[in-house]
Amino acid sequence: MSEFLKREAVFFVTGLVTVIMFIEFFFFPADWSIAETLRLWGIIVYNMSLGLGAVFMMRNHSKNVIRKGSNWQFSGWLIISMAVMLLTGLIGYAFGGAPADNSIYSWVFTHIYTPLGATLYAITGFYIFSAAYRAFRARNIDSALMLIAGCFVILSNAPVGEVIWSGIPTIGTWFKFTGQIPGMRSFALVAALGMLAYGFRALLGKEKGFYAGVSSE
Amino acid sequence: MSGIFDKLQAIDRRVFYWILFVSLMVPFLYPIGLPVSLSRNTIDLWEGINPPNVAPGDVAIVNFGYGVSAWSECHPAVTVCVKALLDNDVKVIIMGIHYDVDLTWAHLQDTASAYFATKEYGVDYVYLGYITGAEPACAQMASDIRTVYPKDAYGTPLDDIPMMKDVFGWEEIDLVLSSDTGDWGTYFLRQWQSPHGTRLAEIGIAMLGSSAMPLYLAGNYFGLSIGSRGGAELEKLIGELDEATTSMDSINVSHILVVLAIIMANVGYLASKRKGGN
Repeated sequence: MSEFLKREAVFFVTGLVTVIMFIEFFFFPADWSIAETLRLWGIIVYNMSLGLGAVFMMRNHSKNVIRKGSNWQFSGWLIISMAVMLLTGLIGYAFGGAPADNSIYSWVFTHIYTPLGATLYAITGFYIFSAAYRAFRARNIDSALMLIAGCFVILSNAPVGEVIWSGIPTIGTWFKFTGQIPGMRSFALVAALGMLAYGFRALLGKEKGFYAGVSSE
Repeated sequence: MSGIFDKLQAIDRRVFYWILFVSLMVPFLYPIGLPVSLSRNTIDLWEGINPPNVAPGDVAIVNFGYGVSAWSECHPAVTVCVKALLDNDVKVIIMGIHYDVDLTWAHLQDTASAYFATKEYGVDYVYLGYITGAEPACAQMASDIRTVYPKDAYGTPLDDIPMMKDVFGWEEIDLVLSSDTGDWGTYFLRQWQSPHGTRLAEIGIAMLGSSAMPLYLAGNYFGLSIGSRGGAELEKLIGELDEATTSMDSINVSHILVVLAIIMANVGYLASKRKGGN
């Protein structure tokens, strides 16, 4: 029975949903109630998976703290943070209608989460600066061309490029509009064809990775 | 001599961190204020949200697909677009797929406060709040917005909100502005623009520029704002220089430094190579 649920049932449901979506796309442009219902189920399952993810995360980190595994202190922080946000958010929701109506929840978000989020993103600038120095070497003609193109694009993004030389934005824009487009389009087309092939293989039962993490035939 | 070239290739990364940190202080103390030229894609976005491309009473969706960490890149452009839409008497539906959406909404009410002050909630604009569900949710919004958002973020049923009474799905929505750090622009493209012809524009972080540009050039996006540069251009277009214009100074400094670092490393590398090094 479990084998049936793991294999045949998954293939059957996947195939059925695909066929319904195909039928809606080609024959019901004004929306089909069966397809709508399936999409709603999809959203519900998606939300359930988020809840499930939170539960498993708590379980794994709790185990790590109990066993004093690697970096268990961080796991502890995660559990405390999650508990505080969950409790204060629920209190805010119960008494004010929205999580942010709880002052502790609101304070943590505004004064801890917001600056930390902004800092995290800003720090990448420092890594990019150092990585550009270490990785961008003109080892051959190809990498030299990429380097030159990259420098023009970087400078054309900043107003100072135009001040250095009026030709920089022109060349940079050419790379952005004309130079990269054929590559990106080819990539998108090939990826789309690949997705189609993957979809057909999945429907025919030749692609097993999507449901059980089993390698394909 | 070769020692200098070798050293040029092996500068400690902490030196670069300090150079960047100190250099970024300079424009804070002494603003540079270089002029920002306009890109075609930003001009198209601006024209697409202004008459004759929009009319009073049109309905627009503005999607917050970014969190606090991407405020510097996306928020200035979103602010200008919402200002323009409100100014043109377009009804604005604000929604979000990032868990920071409440913070971003509060920030928008602050950054566009003068424009919201002249408008009425529920009549001119509405805030629907956060949704999950990825592409199926996006598709379902096109079919029937009430199945995804039965109420606004404050718990009022959509049927009780004046501007939402006649808005049910893609047929009543005139344009969508998706601001992203991820995939929602392409979700709207696949589920709204492509099947139904809804006008769609993207306000993305700089990293999304290269993947969004082919879609803009193909006409899928009627306009495209890329990163804080796009925000600065839009601030110039609306005539209200603000956060993004200020950030152009640090963009100038950081970009120049990156190029200088690349040149320096390569001078060292090529000179060492000529002398027989690695």
